[in-house]
This record gives sequence, structure tokens and C-alpha cells, in this order.
Amino acid sequence: MTYARRAWIVFYKDLVIERRSKEQTNALLFFCVLLLFLFQFALGPDRERLAAALPGLLWLGLILAGLLGLGRSFLAERENDCWEGLRLTPGDKSAIYLGKLAGNCVLMTAVEIVLVVLFGVFYNVDLWTPAAPLALVLALGTVGLAAVGTLFAAMTTHVRARELLFPVLLLPVQVPVLLATVSATQALLLGQPLADVAHWLKLLAGADLVYVTIGLLTFEFVLEG
Amino acid sequence: MPTNWAYVFAAYGIAAIVLLGYWRHLARRARALAARPAAKARVA
Amino acid sequence: MTRVLGWLAALGLLAGLAAGFGYAPREAVQGNVQRIMYLHVPSVLTAYLAFGLVLLGSIAYLATRRPGWDRLAGSAGEIGVLFTGLTIVSGSIWGKPTWGTWWTWDARLTSTAVLFLAYVGYLLLRSLIDDPDARGRYAAVVGILGAVNIPIVHFSVKWWRALHQPSTILGPEPSPIDPAIGLALFINWVAFTLLFAYFLSRRMEIARLEEQT
Repeated sequence: MTYARRAWIVFYKDLVIERRSKEQTNALLFFCVLLLFLFQFALGPDRERLAAALPGLLWLGLILAGLLGLGRSFLAERENDCWEGLRLTPGDKSAIYLGKLAGNCVLMTAVEIVLVVLFGVFYNVDLWTPAAPLALVLALGTVGLAAVGTLFAAMTTHVRARELLFPVLLLPVQVPVLLATVSATQALLLGQPLADVAHWLKLLAGADLVYVTIGLLTFEFVLEG
Repeated sequence: MPTNWAYVFAAYGIAAIVLLGYWRHLARRARALAARPAAKARVA
Repeated sequence: MTRVLGWLAALGLLAGLAAGFGYAPREAVQGNVQRIMYLHVPSVLTAYLAFGLVLLGSIAYLATRRPGWDRLAGSAGEIGVLFTGLTIVSGSIWGKPTWGTWWTWDARLTSTAVLFLAYVGYLLLRSLIDDPDARGRYAAVVGILGAVNIPIVHFSVKWWRALHQPSTILGPEPSPIDPAIGLALFINWVAFTLLFAYFLSRRMEIARLEEQT
């Protein structure tokens, strides 16, 4: 069985499970709606202030959803005693990481689309004009978030205080991704061309490359034991 | 420009307290570990 | 060996104090507050040394599985957090009279704070795992990621600050053109490095004894 096939099987399995139960996606999507209200109430009725904070709120919403959703990446395996099954898979274990990463990217992208649509509608912000470059920024940021999130999720699955440790470990690593995506989004929403945020895109792409590489290289060490 | 010696002493003072504190912390842990095998030997 | 290091460190620190307060001149612009630099800069350099060792120990442990490497990583991490905290506090105290504020989100302070948070998380992870092998492996992964992330954080924060403050403000770092200042700084840096080596030696010994019992 090839490497790609193994990764695909993991990805497909998670997709099928989610499509059948829908429990995680429904909860996360509802969480996005709640965030909408939360941000509105926290920042008050001042339209200007909300619009100015929008890039940050968008990414904040995604990170919060990520903390909830990504941390559970390996919960199904743990709860159903499938962890051993993962460990005993023949061949390169990083295929599992890749499959899980793909699944998480799809999940985060779904959350993003919902957030962007909700924000556009309820906060009355034009997110359609810069849609293409915005999508690029969000995609790069998503990979960065999911790459480290998947790795740490596997790690914290068996550790005490998992729900607390996962955010504590993930957030410092995500600082560059957060800064880059928010800065780039802000520039794009102000109408600046993509070329102006090229350095942020390069940073994101570089960071993504580093995070995924480390994930691929170290996943087998996390999977042991 | 005011002399601001208070800030200098505050910074160095905190550093001294922290570093000395850590040194004593290490010393205490080392002593506790040294006492344990002796206790086990006595019991065994 | 450890005791020798200890005495050398003590001597070095005394020499550093003498150099910082006696030998080095009063700085022209900031006055005597600038002397905090002899504490602040060696602290951050020592912290970087520590985290470099965390990276080394982490990679070596994953490659060899020898517990000694994990002891190095864990000990260096603990001491690194200590010195990073010291860096932030001394920087903050230095900033109050020079910048007028205890804290500012300037690039260097912010990066150092993120560094602090990352490695506190590292220590937290270590404290939550009892099995030495799992602890070593997981900590190594976090340690490697944390170290590799340092330059990424540095650039992202720097560019982020450039958006909000195009001109660099008077940072607490006078140009060390004056050789006396440079020498005093060097002596203090050597002293701090010796102190670090002493702490590391003791901490690793404690870790080794703990694993035996």
C-alpha cells in the first residue's frame, strides 16, 4: 500500500465518520454563530470599531474554533481504543499525520467560510471584492494552524489536563501565523493590492513549510507509547 | 536627568533574589535526594 | 567540576558588578539607569544559549534515546525560562524611566514575551508526564518546534511593529562604541554564562538522581 493511499484512507475515514455523525461540524458551526454575537456584544454598537477590528476578530474566531476542533483530532482513536491500531500501522507513520492534517484543513476551511459569510452579512463588511487574495491568506494561515494543531493534538491525547495543555502549547507557536494573517487581511480589506502583502505571504508559506515538515518528521515519535 | 538609582537597585535586587533563590532551590533538592537513598538503605 | 564552576561564576559575577558599576562610565544620554544593561543583555544571551541547548538535547534524544540528552533539554529549559523572565523584568524596569512606561509592545519585548510563554508551556508539558520516555519524546517535539519558531516569531513581530511605529524609538541600548561599556558588558556576559553552566550542571545532576530512585 502506497504512502499516499494510507494518508488518503485516514483522511477519508475521518470524512466519512464526520459526514455520518455530523456532531463535530454542527457544534463548530453553531460556535461560529455564537462568536458573532460575542464579538458584537464585546465591542459594542460602534460600527467603526467593529469594522476596524474585523481582521483580528476573524482570525480570533478561527483560532478559538481551532482550539475546540483541532484538540479533538485523535479523540475518536483514543476513545475507541484504536490508538494501538495507529501505532501498529506498517510503514511510514507520517502518512497518518498527513491524512489527519488534510481532514483538519477541510474542517477549518469549512469554519472559515462560515465565519467569513457570517461576518460579511451581519457586520456589513465587503468581503467579496478582495475574496481571492483573502482566500489565499486564509488558506496559508489555516495550514499553519492545522499543521501544529494536528501534531499537538496527537501529543496531548494521552496527557493529563489535555484540554488546558493543548491551547497553552499551541498559542505561542501560532503567534507569527496570527500576526501575518491579521496584518495581511487588514491590508487587503483596506483595498491594498496583493503585492503589498507579499512579505506576509512569504512568511506564512515559509512557516507552513517548516511546521508541516516538523510534523512529518516527528509524528512517529509522538505515536509511540 | 534624574539619577534613577532606585530602578537600578530594583533590577539588580530582583535578579539577586531570583538567582539566589534558584540556587537555594537546587541545593535543597539535591540534599533531599541525597537523604533518600540513605533512608532506603536504613530501611532495607 | 560543579564546585569549580560555582566559584568561577561567583568570581565572575563580582567582577561583573565591579565592571558595571565601577569601571564603566556613566552613560551620556540615559544616565546611570543604563547600567541595567549589564544585567539585561547577558540575561537574554544566556536564555538563548539555554534554548539552543534545549534544541540540541531534543534532537539528540529523539536520535539516540539516551536519557542524558533529555536531562540536558529539561534542565536547560528550566534555567532558560528563569533567565528569560529575568530579561523581561529587567527590561521592564529599565524601560520605565527611559520610555516612561513599564511595558510596550515593541518588537524585542514582544518577541521575548512570546519566547517566555512558549517555554513555560514546554515546562508545563514536562511536569504533566510521568513516564520518562514519553516525557522525553513529547518534550523534544515541542522543544524543536519552539526553537525553530524563534526566528519566525522574530520576523513576524518586527514587521508587525513596523506597521504601527515606523521609526524606532530610543531603545534601551546606547551605541556601545565606548570600549569601557563594551568590556563591562563582555565581563558580565562571561559571568552569566559561567553561572548558567553551574546551574545546568547542578540541575542535570538532580535530574539524574531523580531518575535513579
